[in-house]
Amino acid sequence: MPDATVLRMVDGTTLGAEYRAVLRPGELMRDRSRRFRRLPRFFYEIPSWDVALDTQLAPHFQLWEFINVDVRETELLRASWPRYIPCAVSLLAAYLELFRQEVGTYVHVAANGGYRSPAHRFSGHASPHLWGTAANIYRIGDDWLDDDRTITRYGKIAEKVLPGIRALPWGHGVGETDDQLHLDLGYTVVVPSDAPGEEDAGPVPGHDSDVNETAEVGAQ
Amino acid sequence: MAETSDPDDLKARVEQIGRDAGAERVACCIFDYHTRGWWDYQGDDWFHAASTIKVPILVGVFGAIHRGQLARESRVHVRNRFLSVANGEPFRVEAARDANAVVPQHLGRTLKVDELCFHMIVTSSNLATNLLVDLVGLDDLRASVKELEIDGVELARGVEDNDAYDRGISNRVTARGMVKTLRHIEEGTAFSVEASARMLEIMHEQEFRSGIPAGVPDGAKVANKTGEISTVAHDAAIVYLPGRKPYAITVLTEWKPGASGRHDTIARISRAVYNHLTAAGKKNA
Repeated sequence: MPDATVLRMVDGTTLGAEYRAVLRPGELMRDRSRRFRRLPRFFYEIPSWDVALDTQLAPHFQLWEFINVDVRETELLRASWPRYIPCAVSLLAAYLELFRQEVGTYVHVAANGGYRSPAHRFSGHASPHLWGTAANIYRIGDDWLDDDRTITRYGKIAEKVLPGIRALPWGHGVGETDDQLHLDLGYTVVVPSDAPGEEDAGPVPGHDSDVNETAEVGAQ
Repeated sequence: MAETSDPDDLKARVEQIGRDAGAERVACCIFDYHTRGWWDYQGDDWFHAASTIKVPILVGVFGAIHRGQLARESRVHVRNRFLSVANGEPFRVEAARDANAVVPQHLGRTLKVDELCFHMIVTSSNLATNLLVDLVGLDDLRASVKELEIDGVELARGVEDNDAYDRGISNRVTARGMVKTLRHIEEGTAFSVEASARMLEIMHEQEFRSGIPAGVPDGAKVANKTGEISTVAHDAAIVYLPGRKPYAITVLTEWKPGASGRHDTIARISRAVYNHLTAAGKKNA
């Protein structure tokens, strides 16, 4: 089966207007605490469902598992092709593969539990799901993740074997979970080394030294 | 509105059946397409809707489809987590109280809107019902019911919302309100002929047949939806008999908890209505 290297990488800012409107590449979005986060800019292009089914992001995780959304996703990203997913999803898949090795059985990602675009109905704020770096896991082997004991147990395993991972604690409130295990890598952006180069977007407020450095690199 | 013949005889018979069975309350409403006549007994009395509310919810979902908010083929994440309308607290549908096994088997995955509608009606899946209520939203569901000018239906929440129940927030219907809902489905006026036809098709697949269907001859075709909790047992149906036009009927009954003979009482009222209408047909012939 092919891996992610067969997928074309695209700079989201060069996509057509309708895709840019829903993916919002490189734009700022507020998280739940009203802090600004910058949305990912580079995406894998997925030409068809067959490719999503065939593409192995990790030995036990296929691409389709991370784009399996329901009617709450915007129509452009659930009813037509191509679709786009942030490149960081390959990092998430690698983490989940390590997790799977530790638990020794199947790890099932829920619908709406992988990548969600900023236009998804659940995307009221910047969540790592919009970066392709979060997974909601509803089942591990024969264990349904819907109680305190199971969610806590697998959350601890994830935190032990996956450096930097966040597992939301069990509970009914904001920032807690009671019917699935939420794992995320935060607002991680992956820019593959062979990704298209970024164009100089002009001065970034408060970061003048970065602007100079960019100019020097561009002159080479 | 015209009435079917001998209404007092039928009223006495329905009262008698309810009294003999020990029902606390009984209501019945009929619209007969053969005579274009209405008949009711306590037809405007309000009852806890139990699962009969799933018919107005079905209508509401198809209203949302008609408005382009979703499609029958739209996929929905099957997740057993809902928020109470009373206090916003999460709750789950108890698998043991749900006759349907298919929807829980899809937890974590997706089912189509049409499939959820099917399971909500045919095996009265509470999980499917709450997924659809959650997806479309109470306001939009109510808007659909209002657009069809159906009174006698109060849609207040999904099902198994115990916090809401404890605070007296429940779905309510009258027998007349349910018959009005059924009439839109039968007459093809529930948003479109195609939408109405699909709703009717789903209702014809009903698996719970011990109420109204049990009171009519085997040759009849019945599209129905039952509803039952500890204190009520209902059935709402469109009955198709050979050689005559159909009739829409709703029987609502209220009981002390633990009472027996509830389905049989609905079947006996159904039989009384059938005898009344077919006798009237013979008389008019």
